[in-house]
Amino acid sequence: MRLWLILFKKEFKESLRNFKWLWIPLVLILLGIMQPVTSYFLPDILESFGDLPEGAILNFPVPTAAQVLAETIGQFNQIGVLIIVLAFMGIITGERNKGTNVMVLVKPVPFSTYITTKWVHMSLLMISAFLLGFLIALYYTFELIGTVPMSHVFKGMLVYCLWLLFITSILLLFSVLFNSTAAVAALTLGTTITLSLLSSLTPKLMAWSPGMLVSHTFRFFETGSAGDGFWLAAIITAVIIFISLVASTYIFKNKEVVSHTT
Amino acid sequence: MKVESFINDLQSVPWSLVAPIIILSFILMVIAFIDCFKHGRTNGPQWVWILVIVFINIAGPIAYFIFGRRND
Amino acid sequence: MSLILTEALTKTFNGTNAVDQIDLSIKEGVCTALLGPNGAGKTTTLNMLTGLMKKSSGNIIFDKRYSGDRRKYIGYLPQYPKFYSWMTGEEYVIYSGQLGGISKQEAIKKTDDLLAMVGLSDDKRKKIAGYSGGMKQRLGIAQALIHDPKLLILDEPVSALDPIGRREVLELMKTLKKKTSILFSTHVLHDAEEVCEDIFIIKKGKVVVEGNLGELQKKYQKPTIYIETEEPLESWSQSLKDIEWLRHIEADNTKLTITVENIDVAREYILNNTGLRNLNIKSFQVAKTTLEDLFMEVTK
Repeated sequence: MRLWLILFKKEFKESLRNFKWLWIPLVLILLGIMQPVTSYFLPDILESFGDLPEGAILNFPVPTAAQVLAETIGQFNQIGVLIIVLAFMGIITGERNKGTNVMVLVKPVPFSTYITTKWVHMSLLMISAFLLGFLIALYYTFELIGTVPMSHVFKGMLVYCLWLLFITSILLLFSVLFNSTAAVAALTLGTTITLSLLSSLTPKLMAWSPGMLVSHTFRFFETGSAGDGFWLAAIITAVIIFISLVASTYIFKNKEVVSHTT
Repeated sequence: MKVESFINDLQSVPWSLVAPIIILSFILMVIAFIDCFKHGRTNGPQWVWILVIVFINIAGPIAYFIFGRRND
Repeated sequence: MSLILTEALTKTFNGTNAVDQIDLSIKEGVCTALLGPNGAGKTTTLNMLTGLMKKSSGNIIFDKRYSGDRRKYIGYLPQYPKFYSWMTGEEYVIYSGQLGGISKQEAIKKTDDLLAMVGLSDDKRKKIAGYSGGMKQRLGIAQALIHDPKLLILDEPVSALDPIGRREVLELMKTLKKKTSILFSTHVLHDAEEVCEDIFIIKKGKVVVEGNLGELQKKYQKPTIYIETEEPLESWSQSLKDIEWLRHIEADNTKLTITVENIDVAREYILNNTGLRNLNIKSFQVAKTTLEDLFMEVTK
């Protein structure tokens, strides 16, 4: 545990020094402000492009607060996830390609410690940034549009965090498997996008899929209670996260730290 | 006439809502700028990144932190 | 009992043996060199000893007194050490110490001493990004020593350095070997001769010569005679072939190198040989072979 904290602190310090702990939350906060403000002004903005035929413009329904929160999560899920994945695509491959991992792993450091500190740190940064951004979005939504019961919001965010952990755990797995950071980013984004798309196109077939968690989040915002198949998707996601972590550790342990050079 | 409508437009902008966005994106730009300047080690020429940070709002600093900064 | 013993240690890459059945025995309290040309399998051998590479077959046996994770007892400096360049030198060595299992307070104290020893006291608060190659090498030695390893493994510690840096690191190694056992690889015999007691000469993944350096020197130092003539001497040199004191002969047009058993007998014989005199001797020189010749010979 002592050693685990030492490696974790190193990850934390590194991300403080390269400003990840500053710029990532800042970007999510910006996203969190922009979405409710845009929703609020959308009718006005459309009106100012006033060349539309008379009467056509007036039929924009003002979205409900829960809808705005869902739209915000939608934005986070696209731009936010893209940024996080790009920012952490080198989580294992970066040190491996640079060779800085050699002098750490030649010390009596368990491979599992090396892997899990990186994953926990990445997940912590990602969730903190998303929560901060979401809190700001919540404030703006409540001020501008209307309120949603806090228990709904809380449950929804909890479910969304599970989806975020799913993303970080497959990112870790791909990072252990492949040496190219571009491949890691492409595979992680590809997997999350495919799962999300399939889940929205064929929700019945994909009821088990982690990709369903995003729509379950929306459902919690709206009603505060679990939709059909929520527990199935949640449990399967938790299992996938666990398996990814165990597999990452196992594969990492059995991979050569240094490869043959000559 | 034109000036008047321009002033009208300015007054109709809800500054209390827009100001945080402007301020935060400015802070993001300043952090990226200072870091790019001080850290000095970039992928590609440093001056290009400085231009990107200063002239491309929000996306410029993000691009710098992800692709421009050498985090070794 | 040896500190580390390897038995038929082998590493195979794509069907070829980069390290082929190597038996090493690294003694405690001794500096050992792994000597060989580039690509002989030195780094691969060291990587297997440190656990950074998995062996294909064979055994690595560490002294029984040091049980558990082998890495606890090893300090390692790779040929091209790569540091977290966002850390300062001081931070890096403290971090290494903590990874090695010592407490933070202890690490801080020792870091101070070690950085002073490797001559980095003035630069310890600077980011590693700004360090020169020689400074990084010395920082690498400090981080390898911080947890008091039983064995210090250095991979080509001086080959990337300029003459001054080379001198500094070799002097440092001489100081270090009083306190800890050292195993290092090099392709330069001189470096090995300067600091080591034991050497293993490796060629194409196999040990070709091994032993105590002093004994090897004695064993392989043979009197040698160099002769140069104006006329070609190759045909004349054939007449020497069957003489019993001759160990080795190499003729090349007008030049001849012979290694002999007894220098006095050989000198007497050759200088009185009329066949040779008729070829007009230009130079006649008596010397001793060195390990360098042996090294060149076996690694050719």
